[in-house]
Formats: sequence, structure tokens, C-alpha cells
Amino acid sequence: MTWDWAFVIKILPALGIGVWYTVVVTAAASVIALGLGLALAIMESVSKTYGRAFVLFWLELFRGVPSLVLLYFCFYVLPQLGVTVPAIPIGIVVLGVVYAAYCSEVYRGSLITIQGELRDACVALHLRSYTKWRRILVPLMAQRAAPALLNYVLSLFRETAVLFAIGVPVLMGEANDIGYEHFRYLEPYTLAGAIYLAMNLPFLYVLSRFKDKHA
Amino acid sequence: MLSATNFSQQLQFESNAVDDSMDEGGAAPHAKKMMWSIEFEKVSKSFGSHQVLVDLDLQVRPGEKVTLIGPSGSGKTTVLRLAMTLAKPTRGDIRIFGESILFDADKKGLSAAQESRIRRRCGMVFQQYNLFPHLTVLQNLILAPTTVLRQSKAQAVESAMVYLRMVGLQDKARSYPAQLSGGQQQRIAIARALVMKPEILLLDEITSALDPELAGEVLDVVRRVAHESRVSLLIVTHEMRFAREVSDRIAVFDRGSIIEQGVPEKIFTQPENERTRTFLQSVLDH
Amino acid sequence: MRAVLEYWSVLAHGLWVTVWVSFCIIVGSIPGAVILGALRLSENRAVRLTSTIIIESIRAPSALVLLYWVAYALPLVPGMPRLSPITAAIVVLALDGAAYGAEIVRAGIEAVHRGQFDACHALGLSKIQGFSRVILPQALSQIVPGFGGLARSMIKWTAIVSFIGVQDVMYVANYIRGQTFDTVAVFCVLAALYWLLTILCGVMFRGLEQLLPLNRALRSSRVELNLTSNLVSESVQ
Ligand SMILES: Nc1ncnc2c1ncn2[C@@H]1O[C@H](COP(=O)(O)OP(=O)(O)OP(=O)(O)O)[C@@H](O)[C@H]1O
Ligand SMILES: [Mg+2]
Repeated sequence: MTWDWAFVIKILPALGIGVWYTVVVTAAASVIALGLGLALAIMESVSKTYGRAFVLFWLELFRGVPSLVLLYFCFYVLPQLGVTVPAIPIGIVVLGVVYAAYCSEVYRGSLITIQGELRDACVALHLRSYTKWRRILVPLMAQRAAPALLNYVLSLFRETAVLFAIGVPVLMGEANDIGYEHFRYLEPYTLAGAIYLAMNLPFLYVLSRFKDKHA
Repeated sequence: MLSATNFSQQLQFESNAVDDSMDEGGAAPHAKKMMWSIEFEKVSKSFGSHQVLVDLDLQVRPGEKVTLIGPSGSGKTTVLRLAMTLAKPTRGDIRIFGESILFDADKKGLSAAQESRIRRRCGMVFQQYNLFPHLTVLQNLILAPTTVLRQSKAQAVESAMVYLRMVGLQDKARSYPAQLSGGQQQRIAIARALVMKPEILLLDEITSALDPELAGEVLDVVRRVAHESRVSLLIVTHEMRFAREVSDRIAVFDRGSIIEQGVPEKIFTQPENERTRTFLQSVLDH
Repeated sequence: MRAVLEYWSVLAHGLWVTVWVSFCIIVGSIPGAVILGALRLSENRAVRLTSTIIIESIRAPSALVLLYWVAYALPLVPGMPRLSPITAAIVVLALDGAAYGAEIVRAGIEAVHRGQFDACHALGLSKIQGFSRVILPQALSQIVPGFGGLARSMIKWTAIVSFIGVQDVMYVANYIRGQTFDTVAVFCVLAALYWLLTILCGVMFRGLEQLLPLNRALRSSRVELNLTSNLVSESVQ
């Protein structure tokens, strides 16, 4: 079988839709991961025993179980309980929650260093707890944790490909459907690979900028 | 510690060892003209736009003990690192027993094998000891002889024990570096350099990470090497009394070149250069 | 739950495939990781750049896309082999592991003190001798724990091999679900199995850490120090 440019042109729009869904899913899941991760880190810091135990349990669970298993679980079990949720929100929430656990570890790491540095200053200024978190700790945490968090967002983006297993039309799913429909696999999979690769470049660029600034 | 008779026995061995290698050196192609053990010719070195060495000329005779002194940042460490091929000069040439460590006869770069053969005649001891922490003392000493010189293990162990005895640490052969004091580690590092039977030994501030008492035991070892063997020493140190005792010649560094050199007596009692005087005043005051 | 357990032999077979694939990709990724990681630190800029590009291009399209490409698109390229599903899975995941592992190896080597490189050079060791006898053994103390974490992830990566028809535990679980319709039980058992596998893998790497030369050296120093302090305290009493 040889490379067929006409076929490439024909399938580009469908792949474009896949790219769009990939971006949407990545963005939405990242928002959950970054926000929930922050909430978990704060909760953990406020409640050293229960909060920490809860986050640890959460982390251990996701460290040991593939996201694919969690995806299938939610996808097949929720309807049995009488809740019908479309595949896209399920995919977004599962990936978001899994990565929230990882992100909370990153936030926690930066929070520990900041608290060490600023503890005395916050005490000396008699800041209210809310003000302290809102105006000082959270912005600093976000700033310090940014490179590591971006790395997780990149991993999350790469992992969105598995959502095709529950029928989310991400780029991988579109390529798969096209291949199946036309019995031509070379072009869709090669193109999908190339597009995924290209979509990494902005992440890699920003990460290298972070590294330069750090060095 | 060891008795005096033991010392002289071991050092006898040491000087024999150096004699042997000197004979090999004498058979080298440039044997006829006066040979320096190490020779810097118009060597310059820059890091980016920062020029650290400026047209440096420095020669050391076989067996000569030369000490470099000078203010911090004047380029002393850089000289030793260049001699050890840990860095390459920007311009100029460096020769070890007449052979360039940079170029072959056709002025081309050396092959790895050529470079390794020449650099083997140099050994170096570092400020931070740089012992291999995952190996025992004995393993530290026999690693290079067995891999580089391809000695048998028994042979390497035998000669390693001789040098361990010389630095007074034969009972530490099975210890790991982390189990030793700083002074003991540095003595092991000296032994590790000596088992390779170098003809030139480079010592870079080997006591400046040590407390005074520990520094003393390390300097004792160097004194013995200096007085009783024929290895050339190129020493960088801030210990002025020690420099005065062991050196045949002292070279004063300032801003990347030698501003004055001569026998220790002269440098310490009648320095000619104004900056030498101020430098010596500042260190001797402490 | 009972219904699911009746399929235990099928499940065991699937689990065995997962363990086997995991083992192959973890072991298979090691040489590539060491080589790519060492090349990342080469003095030659072109070599450094090439290895960076190789690493990033393996990681970029995610293992799943790469797996489909190798399984379905590669055989269509003239002169390219048609790999069996399990071979394709092992090759792709091992490659991916090598790319992620290379960063761990690089960081481990960079963490070795500069003076160790200088000492190797001053003793006349060649680059290869210094790397294999001095630098790598020390770097392993950082690399092995990092690799342990990666290995746990790699076990989870194997879940995707069921897509191209490898009959691993994931594949078998989907089959059992089709037979019993006991979705909750099937996926709880499946999650527990993966979780156990990753825990076991973590324990094995923890054990491996104890054997590393630098860890052994540091441990024996600590023991000795404890002994001397005991002696001191005894003599004080
Ligand atoms: N790898 C390097 N990159 C950039 N600059 C360097 C490097 N090594 C040395 N330098 C610079 O070269 C100068 C001379 O350094 P060198 O270490 O030779 O001085 P020194 O005489 O040994 O000083 P000290 O007594 O403090 O050890 C210093 O200004 C130092 O900052
Ligand atoms: Mg110095």
C-alpha cells in the first residue's frame, strides 16, 4: 500500500475534529487537576492527619491502578446505577481527578519550602489565615510549582489518547474510526502521530524556557 | 603511627619506583636535550571573555618541587588542571617530558590512546579528596592499576599495601572513605595517586578543607614524598611554612601570570615585586 | 463476585501475560535508558541534540498512538515487518520506557560529584572505564529508586496492549465482564490485581536498592559509627 495524498486531504477535516476534542478534553481535565490538586494540598496542610491520610490513599490508588481501568469502571458502572453520563465528561473527570492527586504532591512540595521561608514573616504581620493563603501562599505556590505542574499537564495531554476506548472522539479515536471505515491505516495513524508530536512542541518550548530561567 | 625505620624502608621503595620510571623516561625520543618534566609555553586560558592565564611560561625540572602561591582567583588551580588535561588551553603548548599533551608531531590533536599514555605520567590530588565513595580504600587504590596498567589483582594489592603503609593507614584497607577522617581520606588520596607511579604529582590545596591538626598529618606525608623520592611536585598551597620547607622554588601568581619566582628564602625574605610583598604580608598576618 | 471467581484460570492466564509483558518492557528499557541518558550528557553538541530529539519524539505521541502505528501502519510500509501483537507491544513500551528512563539516568549521572569525573581522568581511566567502574555505580543509588517509580508506571502502561489483541489481564477482564455482566466485581478485582503488582514491583526495587555499591558503603559506615558510639557509651558507663 502506498501513501495517498488525496486520502490525506479527505481525512484532514475529521482529524481536525479530533484535535479540537483533544484540546477541549486536555483543557478541561487540566483545570480540574490544577484546581482540585490545589484544594487537596491546602486541605492536607490545614488538617495534617485526616487530610494527609485521605490524599495518601488517593495517591496510592492512582499510582497503582491504570487510568484505563478507572475509565472503564466509571463508564460501565454508572449506567448500572441508573446514572447516564456521556463519555466526554467521564473522561474529563477521571483524568482530572487522577492528575489532581499528582498535582497536589507538587503543590505540597512547594508549600513546604515556602512555609519554611515565610513562617516568621506571616506571624510577625498578624495576617488572617484567609489573607495569608489568598494573597501570599497560593500565588507563590503556583509560581514555584509551575514547571512541574506543566509537566503533568503534558502527561495528561498525552494520556487523553486512551479516552478513545470509551468512545470520546479525541484525535486517536478519529484516526481509529477512519482506519476502520476505509480499511486504510497507514495515513490516519501516521498523521495522528505527527499531529500529536506537533502538539507537544508548545509544551516543550515553554518547559525549556522555564529551565533556562532556572539555570 | 609508624616507626622511623619503617618510614625509610618504604620511602626507599618509593624512590626506587620513581627511578625505574625515570629510566623509561630517559629512553624517550627527546632524551638528548635538557628535558623539563613539565613545561608550559606561552599558555593562555580564557573562560568566555574572562582571561584567566596570560602567556604563561613555567618549567619544572625532573624531581624539582615547585610551589605556586598567589591570591585567590589568580589562576593556580587552572594551571594544575591544564597540566592534568582536565581542561584545554586556549593558546600555547604544554609538554610533559618533551611530549606535547595537545598535539602530535604534525600539530594535530592527539588520539585518546596517545593522550592517555602521556597523561599517565602525571598524577593529581584534589582539595576535596575525590575518593570513590562506593569502593573500599583498597579498591580505590587498585582500580587504576588493574584497569589502566593491567596489573594482576595480586600485584596491585601488594603495591597498594606498600603505599598504604607509607601513609600509615594499612589497617584501613577494608574501610570505606566515609568511615575515615578528612585527613585520613586525603592521605589515601595521595596513596591512590602514588600507586600509579607518576613522575609528576600535582597537589591542589590538599589541606585547605582540613582542620589544622589533620592538615599536619597530610603535610607530613607530602614532606616525606618530597624529601625522599624523585617525583616532580607542583604544589598549590596557602600553608606558607610548608611551602618554604618543601619547595625548591616558589612561583608567585597574580592575575594569570607569574610575577616573581625564586628559591623560598629569597621570596620570603627579600621579595622584589611590590605585589608579592603585599600578598605575603596579607597571608603571613593570619 | 462468585461468578467472576469461576473464571479464575482465565484470569490467572491474563495476569501471567501482564506480568510477562511488564517484566520484558522493564528489563528491555534499561539498556536504551542508560545509552540515551549517557548520550544526553555527551560533550558533543550534535550527539546531545540527537539524543534529545530521539527521546522527545518517542515520548511525544504517547505509547498508545505509537503502539497502533507499529501494529497497523508499520506493516504497510514496504520492507517493514509485521510484528506479532505481543512483540509490537513489548517493543513500543520498552522504547517508551527507555525514553522516560533516559531522563532518570541523566539526572542520576549529573548528581554524581564533578570531582569524581576529575579523579577518574587524573588516574588515567578511559571515559568508558570511568563511566562503568566509578560514575554509573554511584549514579545507580539515584537511578534505581527513580526507575522503581517508572517501573510501577510501566506496569500500568501495559493495560493498553489489550487494544491490539494481546490477551493480558485487561483483555481477560473485559471478556469476563461480557460473560458475567458483573462489572463492579470484575473491575474491582482488576484494580486490586494491578495495585498488587505495582506494590510488589516497588518492594522488589526497594530490595534492589540495598544491593547497590554506594548504599552498601554508606550503610556499613553507619553501622561502624554506631558501633563506635556504642563502645564509647559503654566505656563511659
Ligand atoms: N570552569 C570555569 N568556568 C569559568 N570560570 C572559571 C572556571 N574555572 C575557573 N574560573 C575562573 O578562573 C579564575 C581563576 O580560577 P582558579 O581556580 O585557577 O584560581 P585559584 O588561583 O586556584 O584561586 P583559589 O586560591 O581561590 O583556589 C577565577 O576567576 C575563576 O572564577
Ligand atoms: Mg584553586
